[in-house]
Order: sequence, then structure tokens, then C-alpha cells
Amino acid sequence: MKRSKKSIIAMVSILIVGSTLMSACSSQNTAPPKSGAQLWGENCIRCHNAPSPSAFSDNQWETVAMHMKIRANLNSHETAEIVDFLQMAN
Amino acid sequence: MKTIAILLIVLSISAFGQDYTELINKVDRATPGDSQFLLRGYAHSGFEQFGENSSFVGGSFNPIFLWRQSDKLLFEAELELEFEHGETALALEYANMAYQLTENLTVRAGMFLLPFGTFSERLHPRWINRLPSSPLGFGHDPIGPMRDLGIELRGNAKFGNRSLTYSIYTTNGPSLNSGVDHDLEEDEAGMLNYLNVEDNNANKALGGRLAIFPFSKPSLELGVSGQFAKVGNHETDYEETTANLYALDLSYVNNLTFLKGVIDLKGQVNSINVDKAEYFSDEDSSFYSFENQSQVSYIQAAFRPAYVRNSFVQKLELVGRYSQLVTPEGSHWETNQDQFTIGLNYWLDWRSVLKIAYQVNGGGSEDTHAEEEESDHGDESSDNAILIHWAFGF
Repeated sequence: MKRSKKSIIAMVSILIVGSTLMSACSSQNTAPPKSGAQLWGENCIRCHNAPSPSAFSDNQWETVAMHMKIRANLNSHETAEIVDFLQMAN
Repeated sequence: MKTIAILLIVLSISAFGQDYTELINKVDRATPGDSQFLLRGYAHSGFEQFGENSSFVGGSFNPIFLWRQSDKLLFEAELELEFEHGETALALEYANMAYQLTENLTVRAGMFLLPFGTFSERLHPRWINRLPSSPLGFGHDPIGPMRDLGIELRGNAKFGNRSLTYSIYTTNGPSLNSGVDHDLEEDEAGMLNYLNVEDNNANKALGGRLAIFPFSKPSLELGVSGQFAKVGNHETDYEETTANLYALDLSYVNNLTFLKGVIDLKGQVNSINVDKAEYFSDEDSSFYSFENQSQVSYIQAAFRPAYVRNSFVQKLELVGRYSQLVTPEGSHWETNQDQFTIGLNYWLDWRSVLKIAYQVNGGGSEDTHAEEEESDHGDESSDNAILIHWAFGF
């Protein structure tokens, strides 16, 4: 039980430090928008390997992307960029 | 002669027109409509040895049905089919419909995987989970909610180059086993049942998760989750008993150029706190009570040398995980276990993996009731284990 409490304290500390970092950095200049390829590479691997563009057809990618948009809490712009990249590269 | 030539040209144009019309009709028939159906899912099979007992396992698969009605409407459902005690078992993992309200906000209703940490919602599928087993307390019959019936709002927000994601939901919520229900195990008094197809009281659980991505690149994700509900049955002594559930999770996935590979760190802590209550024991016909607090946690690290030149080595992945399960002291399901698992994976492609792992279990329960509970949890056996799985996403 003590070890779990230590884990909770450690993770809360990380969360607080992370929140502080984020709020401190949020006022800085925004970077140029990311490409679909970059968004695909950065977001898919948060949970699983980045999928091969050839795994699905253009229409199938639209359905897969909508499913993943909800599961990974992506916004519509990011999702559209990823789909455009996958449809172009498959 | 001139007349014949003109006649031939007219006939050729006419024939071409007919072919062209047929071609257009074929293309029209082949063009997908607004509705799109897609069958996805995952499966696994393998071999497991716990102590002196060994068996081939798996032969199970989880089909996922996706029905995209429009750019805004999606229905998703997952079934789980597997052999259990010599029979084919069929279970509904989730079935829900989602509607995109704005670019950043989605509402969904039905049975959905709960955003309580990340393991249950995103990491448990066999081809995503880096090890053949789930962490202690995160498998079947988990210590913490995995799925429920209700309604949820979820979305994201940008703050400069940083972002956060959020989910808030209300569901039927967990129910408390008071030990007197005929259809529940008396020895599990005080335990929560996390899936109530029909709610056991008028109260609805309220929960959610907030996650931040502190860097421009979403390599680091830190999340906090909570769920709060009254869990006792309607019109019983336990009606006002409440449960406060919390979870913290972290994920760090990044390319390490100096090691020519990808590091993947995952962790989660679930804390389950139920009001203290008195339960009746048939063994000595008396009431007993205990501090009803359970905690499960795991931390996992995986490394894949994906950028080395050797094509065999770049498909290998080394994984290590430590997990812990602590249930209430004084309950009939008391246990205090920890587990260390080390594994080696070989990726056949991006969604098909051969996993070999060795699992060492420590601690254990203090009475036979808890041992029965352990066996119910399957992968929480007290025996050390060798696990070999082939997981397949499709």
C-alpha cells in the first residue's frame, strides 16, 4: 500500500510539473502547422505502431480515422491531415 | 464512298458512346455511398505454462464493427468470442454511437470503454498490449471500471503548441456486493461490480479524465481520472454507500536517435475507495468490517531498435513491467501481490506480433477465499509463468 501511495504522489507531482510547464509555454509563439505525415507518426505510436498507409483503401481510411479520432481525442483538422496523408501514400 | 465513310464514323461514335455510358454506370455503381461499413478486430493464440501446468491458449478473436453513417456519425461495437470452460463464450465488449458536435467535441452514448486511465480504453487489445498478459488487476474482472452504459462528452483543446484532452461521462456506475445477494459470491462482500446493465439504484456515476500533453510533440501524456457514485442497492442498508475511484496515468513514447530506437513507457495507478460498511459472515454468524480500499498499479518500459540497419533486429522489442495488486486488509478477498514480467517481441508487421515472456509472481493471498479469487482473475496466478502469444490485429 505504501508503495502505491508513493506512486500516486510521484504521478501527481509529474502532473503538476507538466501542467506548469504547459501553461508557461503556451504563450510562446506557435509553430507552423504539422503535416499529415508528422501527425500520423506522432499520434498513432502513442498507443500502437504507426499503420502502413497501404493497409486500407481510401474509403476505409476515412472510417478507421473517424474511429481513432474519437478514441485518441484528436480534433477534426488533425484527423483530416492524417487521412489526406494516408490516402496519398497508400 | 464518302457516304460509307461518314456512316462508319457515326457508327463508331455511337458504339463508343454506348461503351462510355456503360463504363460510367459501372463507376457509379462502384462508388461508395455516404455509409461505410468496416470490420476490424484482433485475435490471439499461444501457449502458457503456469508452474507445472501448461496449455495451448487462445483461439479467441474480437471482431470490431464500425459503421460510418456520415462525417459526423459513427457506430462502433466489439464482441469477444473465446473458449471458456469447454464452451464458446460470447461477450459484448462495447456498443455505442458517436456524434461529432463540433470540430473538437464528440458525444457518444451506449456501452463504451471508460476513460479511467488508459489501459482499459486504449492499451488492452492483444496486438497493442506489449506483453502476453495484462498487469495485475487490469485483466478480466479488473480493480477499476473498464466499461459501462451511459453518455459521454469528449474532446480536446489547444493551448499554443500544447494540448489537453478531456472526457466527462455519466453511467450506471458500479454496484456493491453486500454479501447477501443470492446471485453474488458471499466471500466477495465489499467488492465492486463495475458493469451494471440494469442499474441497482437511482444514482448515476459521474466520471471523467483530463490529460495534458506538455510538449509540442505529443510524446508525453499525463492523465488524471476520477469516478464517483453511490454503489449500494436501492432500499438497503448500503443505499448511501459511496465509492470514489481515482486513476493516474502516464505515457512517454519517443524516438531515441542515439540508441537508434523507440522507447515506450506506460504507467497507471488505480485507487478504489468505498465507504466502510458492515457485512454479514455466515461462517460465524456475525458482522465484520474493514477499510475498503484497493489499489492496483503498473509501470512498463519497452524498447524497439527500429532504426538499426539489421532488418531482423529492428523488428525485435524488449519489454519489462512491474505491477502490484492490493485489496482490503480484513476482507475475505484480501490479497497483496506483485508481479514482474519481462518479454521479447518480434513484430511480423505493424499489427502482428510474436510475444515471449517470463512472469514472476510475488506475495499472495492470506486465505483460501482470496486464492479462489486469484484463479478467477486468470493471469493473477501465484505461479511463475512462461507465456508465448501470437497476437494479430486486422
